Amino acid sequence: MKRVSVALIGALLLAVPLHAQRPLTVTGVRGLTFGAVLPGVPRIILRTDPANSGEFDIRGPNNSQMLLSFVLPVAMTGPSGALMPLSFGAGDAGYSRSQSIGSQVGFDPKQPFTATLSNNGRGAVFVGGTANPTTNQRAGAYTATLTLNVTVLP
Amino acid sequence: MRNTTRLTLAVAALVVTGTVAQAQTNNASITATATVLTPINVNGAQQLSFGNVFPGVNKSVAVADLTNAGRFDVTGQANAPVTLSFTLPVTLSSGSNTLPIDSYAGVRADNNLETGGIGFVPGASNAATLSAAGLLYIWVGARVTPATNQAQGTYTGTITMTVVY
Repeated sequence: MKRVSVALIGALLLAVPLHAQRPLTVTGVRGLTFGAVLPGVPRIILRTDPANSGEFDIRGPNNSQMLLSFVLPVAMTGPSGALMPLSFGAGDAGYSRSQSIGSQVGFDPKQPFTATLSNNGRGAVFVGGTANPTTNQRAGAYTATLTLNVTVLP
Repeated sequence: MRNTTRLTLAVAALVVTGTVAQAQTNNASITATATVLTPINVNGAQQLSFGNVFPGVNKSVAVADLTNAGRFDVTGQANAPVTLSFTLPVTLSSGSNTLPIDSYAGVRADNNLETGGIGFVPGASNAATLSAAGLLYIWVGARVTPATNQAQGTYTGTITMTVVY
């Protein structure tokens, strides 16, 4: 019985730190907004644009390493299925441990990126991009979905 | 022995729980949005026409003169604010002869009868708004002041209006 108790306590000691980990959460805070665009005139939104860049907030285990990867659309869909091409440059995404738009490390949203959460388990990802309306782009509202996948590395 | 079995299961459960917590994955999505505006189209619909003028006799075309005032027709995004800018000649020309033109006046309305029109002085920057149907009509009137020895001939000049969102 003593051996069993010792084993149990040991198991609890091992397990407690694992249970104390904060669960990983990812939240879409702000959409990527291109606003009004004119046919044939590309519209660029920088990841540092505080009003129009997209933003995801991340919470998870303190100081944990994680892998960030985007699922990016190639076009936005508009009236009657009309498409407006979207493009993302190599520096169009940024990561901030302090969740500050003014303090980002840029990365290519088309490639997986390894980042580290802050001491209090926080981080934020910002994303910009370019809308490329054609010269005969149909007028109306266009939308697309950007998804950020986050995996905490063991 | 039975207790031992239970505890072993508990330990196994804890270990399994701990292992799952290490491999966390999550995701979220945001939306990218844009609104494509209807391109602006400007058409010089009617010339500003003074007709016959006589030396030494000024002649004006009122902006309310639907027949002789100059008119631009604009189409674009419904309800969109726009800025109008005019390039206005100070003289009309007939070969090397010139005829002064001044006192420009403008009216903007969302119909081609000037109903509910708003007067303005055409210049480098005039604010306006397209109608709910994306229409805007602009009229321009002016005055010519021929000299007493104004040479005979047909005088022309170009009035340009630029519209931007």
